[in-house]
Amino acid sequence: MAGFLLALALIGLSFPRDALGQAGNSVRLEVRLTPDSAARGQRAPVIRSDNLLGDGRWLSTLRSGLPVRLHYRVEVWRSRDGWIDQLTRQLYWDVVVRHEPLLDEYTMLTIFGSRVQERRYATLDALTAALAFAYQINVSPDEAGNYYYAATLEVSTLSDTDLDELDRFLEGEANGGGGRAGLGETLERGATRFLLRLAGLPSLRLEARTRRFAVR
Amino acid sequence: MRPLAALVLLLALAPGLRAQDSVIVIDPDAPLADSLERVGPPPAVVAELIAFYNDSGTTRVQGDVTIPSESRFEGRLALHRGNLRIAGQVEGPIAVANGTLHLLPGADVRGDILVIGGRLIRGAGARHQGRERVFWDAAPVAGTEEGLLEIRERRRPIGDLAAARTSFRTGKVRTTLLLATGGTYNRIEGLPIVFGPKFDLRTGQRSSLGLDLDGILRTAGSESGLADFGYSARGEFRYGRFGVAGRVYSELAAFEDHPLSPSESGWSAFLLQRDYRDYYDRRGYGGEVWAQVSRALRLELSRRRDEERTVRATDPWSLFRNSDRWRRNPLIDDGHYITTGIQLDLDTRNERYLPSTGWLIRARFEHSSSGDVAPVILPSVVRPDLPVGRRYAFDRLFFDVRRYSRITPSLRVNARLRADGWVGGDRFPVQRRVSLGGPDLLPGYDFRAFNCSPSGFDDPSMPALCDRVVSAQVEVRSRLGLNLGFRTRSANGSRRFIGIEEADLVLFSDVGKGWLAGSGPGQVPVNRIPSFDEWKVDLGIGLDAGEIGAYLAKGVSEGEPVKFLVRLQRRF
Repeated sequence: MAGFLLALALIGLSFPRDALGQAGNSVRLEVRLTPDSAARGQRAPVIRSDNLLGDGRWLSTLRSGLPVRLHYRVEVWRSRDGWIDQLTRQLYWDVVVRHEPLLDEYTMLTIFGSRVQERRYATLDALTAALAFAYQINVSPDEAGNYYYAATLEVSTLSDTDLDELDRFLEGEANGGGGRAGLGETLERGATRFLLRLAGLPSLRLEARTRRFAVR
Repeated sequence: MRPLAALVLLLALAPGLRAQDSVIVIDPDAPLADSLERVGPPPAVVAELIAFYNDSGTTRVQGDVTIPSESRFEGRLALHRGNLRIAGQVEGPIAVANGTLHLLPGADVRGDILVIGGRLIRGAGARHQGRERVFWDAAPVAGTEEGLLEIRERRRPIGDLAAARTSFRTGKVRTTLLLATGGTYNRIEGLPIVFGPKFDLRTGQRSSLGLDLDGILRTAGSESGLADFGYSARGEFRYGRFGVAGRVYSELAAFEDHPLSPSESGWSAFLLQRDYRDYYDRRGYGGEVWAQVSRALRLELSRRRDEERTVRATDPWSLFRNSDRWRRNPLIDDGHYITTGIQLDLDTRNERYLPSTGWLIRARFEHSSSGDVAPVILPSVVRPDLPVGRRYAFDRLFFDVRRYSRITPSLRVNARLRADGWVGGDRFPVQRRVSLGGPDLLPGYDFRAFNCSPSGFDDPSMPALCDRVVSAQVEVRSRLGLNLGFRTRSANGSRRFIGIEEADLVLFSDVGKGWLAGSGPGQVPVNRIPSFDEWKVDLGIGLDAGEIGAYLAKGVSEGEPVKFLVRLQRRF
């Protein structure tokens, strides 16, 4: 068994993450810096994903009735030569897209903390354009030093349970606790997520980072 | 819903903003505000679109329509649902509802353009004279039988895909009806089925009232000594950051919260006939007051009165090893217990299920007492005789501290320190005693390898008998691309990967010790913890794909064989 796992590990090591994410799939994630216009050199990251629907599997997933979740995360790293880099801050947000077959419309939920924005699109062209929105995150560091931003995009399907939780969130139970909070951690959750994973439903993780910049 | 940082969308929210302005600026330090904003085209413009479309002088088309080059159209032209491709000349205004307008090379449009619910795609050399308004957001319109358009009311986003749960609102009361499993499978209840309504009432902008009524149907029969039906009713009033709750219940409770989570323990029991938890029947009532001091910090004071009774293992079905015998469920010290507790929860994790940074701290102190305990016989080294003629009382302290850290963008280090046990008063009843060994805290050792059972004490139920346990865990995680599976190509040309594409490579080590407190042989003085050379240590490696992980672990302080284990969630 040890040999088997070692073989798995070696197989894994032979597929670097970035190569898988950016080249093996047509979806792209870009992160760039805003122009160097601040007096102290502070710059913010601008994150953009592109061509999500150009990869037919996500469109197929949507049309199969499964919502697609885009989980963005941006991290602020302080670069320290001669020592490991320091994570100084991270932020994340979600975009959930689902197809409503009766209306033939696509609903796009953008979730920032407890703030949710819902938009609907009637055409794939419009949805594709909306999914390519760029996000400028005002997280510029204050302290002097060398920094860079790392961005991650995880694209996955939502299980029924996740979707149900999302719906309850939208219905006003964002802070709901109480007796049923633990039901999320049920057999159904584990089974559904595991089966969704193994059933060949797609998942994707992309990473990108900016070049270093100096705050004076 | 995971706890997220407070972010505010500054642009793209304003209704008048042009949808093509496709940079969204997020200010993470803006004040937190809960909201659900449904964005769409301005109602006045939608009304204008409907009026235009329904005008008797408008030429209405649907689907994909092309005006070829060298052709000419005069008048008002409107399209609903489809693609309007113009390569020729159009003299007059154009409106498109939930479709795309293509101005192809050579197109010449002289008139206003209004597109709602789609894009305007302009080819090189296309000409347009007139006003141009484009809104990507869908127009909330629907076609009528007469071929006209009307406003479509927006549907409410109820969880229509969750067949076992439905919610509706009547006035200020939101009602949820639930039919679900109890989240586990065990040798006492079998598969518990939970059903019942939940009511939420918004009594004010900052206050709410909730009532949660659950019935529990037990499928394993009544041989366990447990009633076929259990129940739980909980009422809670919240005001701002404070709350008060009361509860009555008749439910099955577990002795310890490890070595597996309820769902994993359920899978283990259902598939392999291995139930890694012990249970007792708990009926009673209680209440709590709590304060959410900050987003991350919660304090709770609680008091409850339980009747606790022994239950027996039954013989529910399992997929494999169904002919084996289930492990017996230990006898407990039956009686009525009054427990007062204070609990602190600090959670700064960035995500609930797969955190990468932050702290999770839970600490709880309990004082319990009983006036009618009926003790089981335990070896005197484990517990002296319980008091006669006065109340039986004991104190318990539990804490679990977890730290999640990202060292580099691809490397994480997580650590956990956990302790549980007796701190004062009479010695624990059986159902409060603790142990070590098994998949969670010390995976390099067998289940309950360290249960403080004295030599010669042979109980097939393998009860946990320790007074105290302490354990520490550390793990290093690095993300790997696995591609463990194969790819298929569907009819539409899209590729699908079947298997596991990526996983965490996990290197871990655990240490722990369980002991009996006292001054006798084999015991550790009550004001000491054992010296570190007596602690048990294991090392391991594994692959964690999120919903499933496989690990190899070996105890290094004993001649233990290598253990292989599968987890259905993160180790911690």
